[in-house]
Amino acid sequence: MSSTSALILVLVLVSGTTVLGLFWRSRQGRPIVVNPAAPEALGVPDALTPADVSSRVPFGANATLVQFSTSHCARCPGTQVLLAGLARSRPGVAHLDVDLTHRRDLANRFGILQTPTTLILDGTGQVRARIGGVPNRAGVLRQLDDLTGSSHAQFAR
Amino acid sequence: MPSSPAEPRPQPSARRARPDRPDLDPRGPRFGAAITAVLLLVVVFLSLTGASVAAFVLLTILAALFAWGAFAGAGRHPYGVLFKTVVRPRLGPPTALEKAAPPTFAQGVGLLVTVTGVVLGLAGLTPAVGVAAGVAFVAAFLNAVFDYCLGCQLYLLLVRAGILGRGPTPLAGS
Repeated sequence: MSSTSALILVLVLVSGTTVLGLFWRSRQGRPIVVNPAAPEALGVPDALTPADVSSRVPFGANATLVQFSTSHCARCPGTQVLLAGLARSRPGVAHLDVDLTHRRDLANRFGILQTPTTLILDGTGQVRARIGGVPNRAGVLRQLDDLTGSSHAQFAR
Repeated sequence: MPSSPAEPRPQPSARRARPDRPDLDPRGPRFGAAITAVLLLVVVFLSLTGASVAAFVLLTILAALFAWGAFAGAGRHPYGVLFKTVVRPRLGPPTALEKAAPPTFAQGVGLLVTVTGVVLGLAGLTPAVGVAAGVAFVAAFLNAVFDYCLGCQLYLLLVRAGILGRGPTPLAGS
């Protein structure tokens, strides 16, 4: 192959990977709202309990952020800090971090394909939204404000 | 705000208790991935232009570098050392540190892909050198440019397949 066509193929590889990366990034961190009529789409029962995720931490009265992590996840500790802070900024919101490293059953049950993945539950434990990747701060706050019925604009940043 | 105060992990992992590799500046592995991506692209170019010996030699060197990172830890990789001594003093302090295990696992993934190319190349299947370099390039480029962590994804899939994370002691960055 001539150097010119090889160079063109290399450029195609670079631009193709860039498009892939942009596509991936556009889908990261956005809460996908779960249709309340079809929670089975997530493979989860109508409402979760702390026992479902082997948690000793009780769920929040208004909402719960259930984060799934593994020990080999570079972005999970940062997500942990972010979500714990967001949970503290709203009343009755709990955050719990579930380590899937030894919980293949939980990973399969919730169909987790990447870590971190976060489920946003309402006060009854029903899954309301799902976030793949490092959560978008504003998106999580919007969901929490819906669930807690508040709009603490002063906390929005 | 009666949310749970300390948020203890429901399953405290045994990994936390043992002496770990020191935490890393997360920009270090991305800096290394950028160099690796450029070199992998050179392998692809050499392979396409028919310079198969040069492509093979360079991919073998890259596989050895991946092995270094995978076995000695991402922090002791030559690019990691280069980052610490030359690049990091010129940057501001990192906003947060990250565990060495994920990038070390990623080095293992890179090792697997490049060694496959080297072995197939040795077996006479010369195009495999370029293909393996292309595959590894995609992962390294996404890591460097978009902060995409392929290892995080793969590790979870291996857990789900029941290959990793079964026993009481986790595989700490092999």
